[in-house]
Amino acid sequence: MRMKRPAAALAVAALMTLAACGGGSGDTSGDTNAGDDPTFKEGGNAGAFKDEAREAPAPIPDDATEGGTLTVLTAVAPSTLDPTQAYYTDSTAILSDLVTRSLTQYAYNEETDDMQLIPDMATDLGQPNEDNTEWTFTLRDGLKYEDGTDVTAEDVAYAIKRSFAIEELPDGPTYQTTFFLDGDKYKGPFQGGTDYAGVETNGNDITIKMRRPFSDMDYYASFPAFTAIPEAKDNPETYGQKPLATGPYKFADYKAGASLTLVKNDQWDPNTDPGRIQMVDGWEFMFAQDTAKLENIIINDNGSAQTTLTYDNVSASSYRQISEDKERLVTGTQPCTFMWYIDMTKIKDIKVRQALGYAYPYEDAWKAAGDIVGVTRVPGTSILPPGTAGRKEFDVLGIGGVNTDAAKAKELLKEAGAEGFEIKFLFATDDDQSVAAKDAIVQGLEAGGFKATPIASTTETIRTDRTDYNSPINVRSSGWCSDWPSGGSWFPAQWAGNLVGLEGMPNPANFKVKKFDAEQDRILDELSPEEAVDAWGEFDEMMQTEEYPAVVTGYGGVAMIHGSKVGGMANDNVRGMPTFARMYITE
Amino acid sequence: MGIQPTELSEQDISTEPEVVKQEIAGRSPTQIAIARLKHDKIAMICLVVVILFFLIAVFAPLLTNLFGVELKAGTADDTDQFNFPIIGPPDHGFTWEAPLGLAPNSGDDNLAEWFYGARTSLLVATVSTVAATLLGVTIGLIAGFSRGWLDKSINFFIDVFLSLPFLIVALAIAPILVSRFGNQPDALEFWQFASLLIVLSLFGWMLLARLVRGEVLSLREREFVQAARVIGVPTRRILFKELLPNLIAPIIVSISLGLPAFVAAEAGLAYLGIGATGKASWGQTIDRAVPYFNTYPLYLYAPVVGVFLLVMALNLLGDAVRDAFDPKTRR
Repeated sequence: MRMKRPAAALAVAALMTLAACGGGSGDTSGDTNAGDDPTFKEGGNAGAFKDEAREAPAPIPDDATEGGTLTVLTAVAPSTLDPTQAYYTDSTAILSDLVTRSLTQYAYNEETDDMQLIPDMATDLGQPNEDNTEWTFTLRDGLKYEDGTDVTAEDVAYAIKRSFAIEELPDGPTYQTTFFLDGDKYKGPFQGGTDYAGVETNGNDITIKMRRPFSDMDYYASFPAFTAIPEAKDNPETYGQKPLATGPYKFADYKAGASLTLVKNDQWDPNTDPGRIQMVDGWEFMFAQDTAKLENIIINDNGSAQTTLTYDNVSASSYRQISEDKERLVTGTQPCTFMWYIDMTKIKDIKVRQALGYAYPYEDAWKAAGDIVGVTRVPGTSILPPGTAGRKEFDVLGIGGVNTDAAKAKELLKEAGAEGFEIKFLFATDDDQSVAAKDAIVQGLEAGGFKATPIASTTETIRTDRTDYNSPINVRSSGWCSDWPSGGSWFPAQWAGNLVGLEGMPNPANFKVKKFDAEQDRILDELSPEEAVDAWGEFDEMMQTEEYPAVVTGYGGVAMIHGSKVGGMANDNVRGMPTFARMYITE
Repeated sequence: MGIQPTELSEQDISTEPEVVKQEIAGRSPTQIAIARLKHDKIAMICLVVVILFFLIAVFAPLLTNLFGVELKAGTADDTDQFNFPIIGPPDHGFTWEAPLGLAPNSGDDNLAEWFYGARTSLLVATVSTVAATLLGVTIGLIAGFSRGWLDKSINFFIDVFLSLPFLIVALAIAPILVSRFGNQPDALEFWQFASLLIVLSLFGWMLLARLVRGEVLSLREREFVQAARVIGVPTRRILFKELLPNLIAPIIVSISLGLPAFVAAEAGLAYLGIGATGKASWGQTIDRAVPYFNTYPLYLYAPVVGVFLLVMALNLLGDAVRDAFDPKTRR
């Protein structure tokens, strides 16, 4: 999934991208040595568990009061709030948690402090056929739009068809084109008409047909793209201005890039919804705010600031202040891994690649870029982040993903006969944090016996430069966030050999090794979904041990702050966003 | 504003008592101005401050050695879990290891950064001032002395430059350079710095050129110029030997007021992220330090005080110089 960072990744075709050096938020995996901060919560299983039996209505917390408005201040702005196009963490969280219901949803589980996949508009998590090529979801009764009309299965089917209209509605998730029947041919209702064989409705049932087994359809059905959109009221150009609400809140006023006001949707029935509550009267989102200003407002906690929150990571300058007031700081995990993808076509010797892993100045670079180690950036060595099903904890280099070992790097370079190997990487000259990280990285690499050549770019062009096969660089700093917590949303998306050479450089390491391509095919085609879960963890370890195509430069974490009367705010560790669906104002 | 020797002496004659007439007759306008400056206490204090800054700039490497500090030497061990420095003021008391403390996040030494920031600031200001002055004087002289199409076209040229938006040009050049020299780090650093100097110089000469042109327009009709032409003195000699010495005053005034403007411009551009990346700069430090105004103010104050002191000293000095050269002020 794409991150909510400013300017986020518009140009990149892949599922998500990370800013070169920024990004992030904090997590903790039990085994990393990061968690000496007591605010740090263990764990995060990023919705690896499902809870099909969760009953509606959702319980209302004891300390919740009715009424009031929660204000959300943020430095970023969602690029679109059209359900079909929502693919950034902020837009999916706002839509899914408050406005548009989907077939399934994530709900917070207080006991485990993580998210669980639960039914939403559907009565269960979907019924797959034996080989996962056909999924059937059954809609609940009593679902209504904000205007009082009934939600029908045809509307959901239309929304699914609409998600194929990538030309009219770009930047949304695109798994449907890979997995759904005729996904490669159907161009959506605006070009291809509404005749699409992949979706069938029968009464309250919606059946989705696949062209290859898709065992993660229940996760995928939680995206806002799987909401209900009445065909008669759809206009692809303006629907995102006021999507028809099925959830507890509806759009009252939306100024793109500036503000969004939500008010109660009186047509929403809590008895049909196991995940959401409707305690506050409304929500006020203020986008593109000044970071220092919004942090000051929330930290000072006066008047209306008590019911104000932000989903931006707290900056290093303010973290010390707020860390004394732990009640108002929410930390947690985000299923994102930052990596230095080593170009396999340019750095062919594994010893050099491993030397790079030893020489990389992990802590120096993180701190220079303003990341708080253990909170907004958590050391790690597996490509799969904590909270992914089947994840294996391993440490190929034996440095815990944090203890730079320059001597070992020099030794390996000497063995490889590549002393003074030139490493070329991108940085943005107009981004202070990027420049500071670059300085730290240059020092670290040179201490490790490399020659470091930073290649200048700008924040505007760094994404296109990074995904350009002709860029004069041999490592690429980027990352990946999972769309759902299984290895299936990781390796086939970034580490498959058939992605090499494609537009947008979806395989940033140019990783194309026969053995690993064969292994991926085996996992996808031959193993059952349950076996595949663990197989991806093994795959992760095997790839890092035998090829070391990427230096894992930590996992993302979140550290968000809120006013003293904001209740129910926890970290949605699937997205790294607040759990809007269960938030309220305390007494 | 021009100083015409004949007028000047007439004035002096009429106001000064006869006894000193002999003494004054031997003094050039510059000498008079210097004598006046010497009696201006504020000017002298400012001069000392400016000289101090110049010494800091010139001897920045020596000074950092002397204090035992180093540029960009920070590591992760220099900062705590909140990325704040673990030694130095204001949180941990004064220490000679880091007299101005360390920068949060990177742990780099603030004093070293400050010394080298002064160096960048003054280097940029001095070079740009000299270049802009040379350009302005030359163009102004030529425009003023030539008649007809050359004068007209130079004037048009000046108008064009005056109408170009300085900030937008500066902002536009930065990404162009990055895309042109992005993969040659050394060339990029050189050209970023050079482009900063070029931009500042190119946008700093117009007013002086107009001033000089105006002066030359009136001077060239004077008897001493006419006489020189009659006896066949070459144009270049007239320009540089007859006219230029009479323009010393406006030029010096323009230099002394240009310097602080360029110091401020350099800091401003660096704050916007334009200019030399990789070089220490007050403007860039201020940019980084702004979010810390609350939690670590020293980080912000050091470069701000640097810019403030230098610009104020240069400005006051410039005012004093202008007053000293202006025959109409009497203090």
